[in-house]
Amino acid sequence: MGLDLDAIRADFPILSRMMEGGRPLVYLDNAATTQKPKQVIEAMNSYYENSNSNVHRAVHTLAGEATEGYESARTEIASYFGAPRDHLIFTSGTTEAINLVAYGWARANLSKGDVILTTEMEHHADIVPWQILSKERGIEIRYIPLERDTLTLDMDAFEIGVKDASLVCVVHTSNVLGVRNNVEQIIELSKTSGNHGKGAFVMIDAAQAAPHERINFIELGCDFMALSSHKMGGPTGIGGLFVKPEIMETMDPFISGGDMIETVTLEGSTFQKGPQKFEAGTPRIAEAFGWHAAVKWLSQLDMQVIHEHVSNLARKTAEKMSSIPGIKIYGRHDLNTCSGVVSFLHESIHAEDLAHLLDSGGFAVRTGHHCAQPLMEALGVSSTARVSFWLYNTEEESEAFIEHLTSIVQRFG
Amino acid sequence: MNQKKKRGNMSDWPHPLQEIIDEFKECFDRMERLELLFEYANKLPHELETKDWTDENRVRGCQSEAHVECTIDEKGGFQLHGAADANLVQGLIAILAIGVDGLPPSTVAKIKPDFVEEMDMKASLTPSRANGFMNMFEMIRQTAQKMSDER
Repeated sequence: MGLDLDAIRADFPILSRMMEGGRPLVYLDNAATTQKPKQVIEAMNSYYENSNSNVHRAVHTLAGEATEGYESARTEIASYFGAPRDHLIFTSGTTEAINLVAYGWARANLSKGDVILTTEMEHHADIVPWQILSKERGIEIRYIPLERDTLTLDMDAFEIGVKDASLVCVVHTSNVLGVRNNVEQIIELSKTSGNHGKGAFVMIDAAQAAPHERINFIELGCDFMALSSHKMGGPTGIGGLFVKPEIMETMDPFISGGDMIETVTLEGSTFQKGPQKFEAGTPRIAEAFGWHAAVKWLSQLDMQVIHEHVSNLARKTAEKMSSIPGIKIYGRHDLNTCSGVVSFLHESIHAEDLAHLLDSGGFAVRTGHHCAQPLMEALGVSSTARVSFWLYNTEEESEAFIEHLTSIVQRFG
Repeated sequence: MNQKKKRGNMSDWPHPLQEIIDEFKECFDRMERLELLFEYANKLPHELETKDWTDENRVRGCQSEAHVECTIDEKGGFQLHGAADANLVQGLIAILAIGVDGLPPSTVAKIKPDFVEEMDMKASLTPSRANGFMNMFEMIRQTAQKMSDER
């Protein structure tokens, strides 16, 4: 059964906003952040209006409601990703989750002589923490290149490179190319051939994947999985790191104080067990309520149907854009696994100028290096413009975008 | 009197800049303003050629690449040389360059950056671009002040 787009769009108040000149908003920057359904906004408002309190400590009614809501959010969000609640550490988002792997796990478990294998396709959040750690600990970083003709990872190079790797860090779905990596094969190879046959640890950056497919952390078989709430209809400021409990036990906290403390004396401290050990300070309570509401909302829908809708929109849009004179597409939209991202440039109109011209027509798109400068270098560009679709976008919006882009190219190209 | 009207006072801007502001005010919508700005991008009075783009004259904080340099002409008038890879940025440089061309550095040092708002182009200055534009403007203003002090 297809998506009832009218009903879906009715849940997103912002989508009825009119822009300058009475033009309707066409939001095509979903890879940066998605819009929020009213159920998410209401859940957060309701928490602040009725139950606002700190969690875990106080005995009063509000604290009980806040704690119950916060912890049931952990249970339900973890369950949405096929994992028990003790596998999910709340973080501020994907970036902090990856930093938690770097500072909490890798710093305690890797040393000089170890190799971290990552790729040219990564977001800066999956490159910079490793570079900093490498400088500090003498750990070597190796990068799997992008095949220039197919815009997919060079899996032959991966098969060779993984043999020396102690930790493999790979983006599930590219925020620039829309390409979904074969993460199942990457995890399988890492576990069988990694670290000289002993098996490598694997961290998957699932920020761009979570809005497009139902990921089961346990079935996927990686050791760490990082993601953000705001890319999947939830609020900003919260995300998560999924970790197997036996690995979580080998991690050190990298932010300390507040909620992660069990006891403190002047001589030393002991920490909470499980995810709470890594959630220092007052946690993101309202955000957890909001993210919980987002997964509840998404659970009503069939993720496979959402993926097909979004992927088809991207494919059709990319095809039509290819026929506009001077437009070059960066990505693979012929693959049925592709996400909703279409990156592009015009031969004579600067990407930023294009974005402003599109914005003047009510179309919200993104430009820049998309926090993926090594990938930009591999593509031979410094930036791109990018449209990215999600479940509420329609064919009519895609067609209106093509029409406006065509008129811009005719007028300014 | 509201702020906008106050800033629109004819005496606030050098004559060439006021003329450009008035031209922008006649535009029908944002698309037309962008089109006009792109036209100005091709009217740079003193274009800084790509070969002269250096790290020293690069404007920090701009998402796109922009470079500016200030000189004094033989009559002691201020000259702004510049260029950018995005038309929007180059258009803003051109307007400023036309607006201050040949003015005494002491006058240039007193110009405020509000003319962008007066032209109704504020929506085209994203926070990062606004930051870059302000960096550029401040760099020009300080150089003009220094030139004025040295005379």
